[in-house]
Amino acid sequence: MTEPIITLKNVSKEFKVLNRHEGVKGGFKDLFSRDYKIIKAVNDISMEIMPGEICGYLGPNGAGKSTTIKMMTGVLEPTAGEIYVNGKIPYKNRTENAQNIGVVFGQRSQLWWSLPLIESFKLLRDIYQIEEKQYKDMMELYESLVDIKSLYSKPVRQMSLGQRTLSDILAAFLHNPGVVFLDEPTIGLDVSMKSKIRDLIKALNHEKNTTVILTTHDMGDVDALCKRIVIIDKGVMLYDNSIENLKHFFGAYRTMRLRFTKNAAELTEEALQKQAEELTVDLKQKYPQASSISVTVDDDWIDVLLNEEEIPLMKVMNHIQETKRIYDVQLQEISTESVIKKIYDKEIV
Amino acid sequence: MKHKLKKRGIGFYASIYFKIIAQDFKSKMSYRADFIISTLGMIMTNISGFIGFYIMFQKFETINGWNYYEMLFLYGFSLIALTPMQCLFDNNWNLRFVVEDGSFIKYCFRPINIFFYYISEVFDVKGLGQLLMGGITLTYAWNKLSLPFSFKTGALLLLALFTGSLFMIAIMNMAAATCFWIIHSGYVMVTMFKFTEYAKYPVTIYQGFFRVLFTFIIPIAFVAYYPSYIFLRPEVPLLTCIAPLFGIFFFWLSYRFWMLGAMRYSGTGN
Amino acid sequence: MRMKLRKYTALLRVGILEEMQYRLGAAVKLFGNIIYLIIIYFLWKAIFDSSPTDVVNNMTFTDTMIYLVLASTLFSTMEMFVTWWIGRSVQTGDIILELLLPIGYSSLNLLQSSGNTIVAVVVNLIPTMAIVYLITGGGFALSVNLIFFAMAVVLGIVLNYYINFFVGTICFYTESIWGINIMKEVIVLLLSGASIPIAFFPETLQRVVHYLPFQAIYNTPIMLLIDNSLSIQERFSMLGIQVFWLIVVGSISHVFFRISIRRVTVNGG
Repeated sequence: MTEPIITLKNVSKEFKVLNRHEGVKGGFKDLFSRDYKIIKAVNDISMEIMPGEICGYLGPNGAGKSTTIKMMTGVLEPTAGEIYVNGKIPYKNRTENAQNIGVVFGQRSQLWWSLPLIESFKLLRDIYQIEEKQYKDMMELYESLVDIKSLYSKPVRQMSLGQRTLSDILAAFLHNPGVVFLDEPTIGLDVSMKSKIRDLIKALNHEKNTTVILTTHDMGDVDALCKRIVIIDKGVMLYDNSIENLKHFFGAYRTMRLRFTKNAAELTEEALQKQAEELTVDLKQKYPQASSISVTVDDDWIDVLLNEEEIPLMKVMNHIQETKRIYDVQLQEISTESVIKKIYDKEIV
Repeated sequence: MKHKLKKRGIGFYASIYFKIIAQDFKSKMSYRADFIISTLGMIMTNISGFIGFYIMFQKFETINGWNYYEMLFLYGFSLIALTPMQCLFDNNWNLRFVVEDGSFIKYCFRPINIFFYYISEVFDVKGLGQLLMGGITLTYAWNKLSLPFSFKTGALLLLALFTGSLFMIAIMNMAAATCFWIIHSGYVMVTMFKFTEYAKYPVTIYQGFFRVLFTFIIPIAFVAYYPSYIFLRPEVPLLTCIAPLFGIFFFWLSYRFWMLGAMRYSGTGN
Repeated sequence: MRMKLRKYTALLRVGILEEMQYRLGAAVKLFGNIIYLIIIYFLWKAIFDSSPTDVVNNMTFTDTMIYLVLASTLFSTMEMFVTWWIGRSVQTGDIILELLLPIGYSSLNLLQSSGNTIVAVVVNLIPTMAIVYLITGGGFALSVNLIFFAMAVVLGIVLNYYINFFVGTICFYTESIWGINIMKEVIVLLLSGASIPIAFFPETLQRVVHYLPFQAIYNTPIMLLIDNSLSIQERFSMLGIQVFWLIVVGSISHVFFRISIRRVTVNGG
């Protein structure tokens, strides 16, 4: 039985926020004011993460994700509850904890802006006191995984966003930490770079058995990397289990993708939205009891999501066909994205 | 970690620091035009400072009992005392931008001291021009005043310069750290920097409250006046004797203030 | 025509509103300015106390103080960041977008920075002048001088703007905004008489300064305000010199900008 590498027990974090007043007079009032309100950024969260897991940490903006990450990295102290990372309490000794974690936070590079990449790596080797052999092995591994050699002499400030993200991720794994925290690692990247980054994370996790905590809004990241996801919203944990289990929960859900015009790609976003709205109204009238039906626009498709236990898909399709001509149709299982959205909207749990 | 980590002491930080500076210097040199123009700007700043100083003094023999060469001594002294702040702590000028756009958090994730990590990032070469100007001025004034030069005075001078620069650094540390509390704190830094330019005048020109203000609260009196006193006058005031200790204390205070801000920032900043 | 006017007033409004946002910044600026003036006061008091005569270079201590207070207030009132704006937008490439706006690039910057300046005139210059007047018990005459002063300030602002615009255009050729900017500051601060009254300069330097545009920024308005011995002809000729410099510097700036912008439009930035 292995020990969890990260343990959170009933962790909460409260912030005191000043109630601000308007205007110049209010501004002066605020200087002396003791009028605080308490905001619970994280509320009674518990979880255990095993070594070698890649865990997706999801939630809408302002859900408390980065507060949790800051507590796990030792930057913030929890108001209540216990946190252990690598068997230690992170905030009790920030630097000791920092030695055993790697972080890529936000889109800004953590490497030295004006230095060539290889010099940044060498500085990190010294800062983390990495043994020469371990460093060499790591660099060899890197060179076998990605074409990094060509970037060695390039200063970070001259790199493209993709190159910079790649470099930052490599830097975070360099001292072979037990846990790596990745915050939105693929944001703003093109499709091929995204898949390159995902492959790299997967390979490093596999080679070094590094635990990865991944926060992202990109469901592609989740599908490609995570077996397990944790979802929080407004500081409260909504879900903690495997993606498979989650999809199983929505086993009877189907997505029907439709096109009502021949050249749907030429339609404007507004025209598609209008089609979707008309369809929503129509279906609501026809099946008022079927609350699971939702219509969304995705690229140039109109997606109809529904629960077959509530209403058979063929019935809906037949109904649509009576009034509209369907040029193209696809049937899919529920996407991770829709599942997450349903959880955010509190449709389950 | 498989191997035992060495404790991160002064030796560790010094070695990291010199490696960063060496690399930074190399990369700065690759932007040669920028380097030349900045250095030129720095030299012109100093020359114009001298011209202003000269213009003011050509009509007056003494100010408050300090003659021209003694004033020149203070001037050169303050220029040198300014250099460490300019060269080594230049990143303080960027602090408010980094804090405002949220990228300051990245300094909290390394297993080293946050203040060190942040400050070590930038070494400003052009400050060295100032060191040169200050050195020349001080030597010139030293000769004109026919001050003795021995091992003892040399050591004292180094201690005095070290003390002066501690105060200069501490003042700017505090000014920079205000950005953790107030938005648009740029003016605080600019204003404080403007004050430090007046460190070259004897603090005795101020009366009452302002003498106290510039001695203990915004201690520009300790940048040049008190540390220099020992070379220019036979008697030694108490404040000159305690200046080095007070300097260390004040620097420590500014460091704590800076770190307090940094901790506060990571707690709420988002 | 009215539409066109509205376009300009809108820009001016943005400049004003932007400056109002930074109330705390303004408070710090004002506070810093006051302490700075106190330093200046003590310094020059010590200088005059050490002098054997009360009048130096035809100026008493009070004259000198009035001059310096006004000069430093005018300096902070007219402080603008046009050089930085241009330098930044050249480096980021935003300049292309700004060139697409249906308004000249120079006018765009002038209006925005004038918005900031107008606020500074109201919250900085006018109160300071009132305080100076009260403290000195009529250190300057409330006469036609004020009108000349006001005209000269407006001309000074625009002249200062064009000097900044010219220096900003240099940023098309170098990355070193800081270096360029500091050189400008140093030259303007010294040769305009903003830090030391021009009357204190040695003869030769005074003559050199009179053939340069910088004294027309701060020195001319202040002299028009405090020097009662000037005749009407002298006053108008001082304004005339300001206008002359404005035309010269303005035209050179425009030509220089026209040439420099080709670097962006031809080479694609």
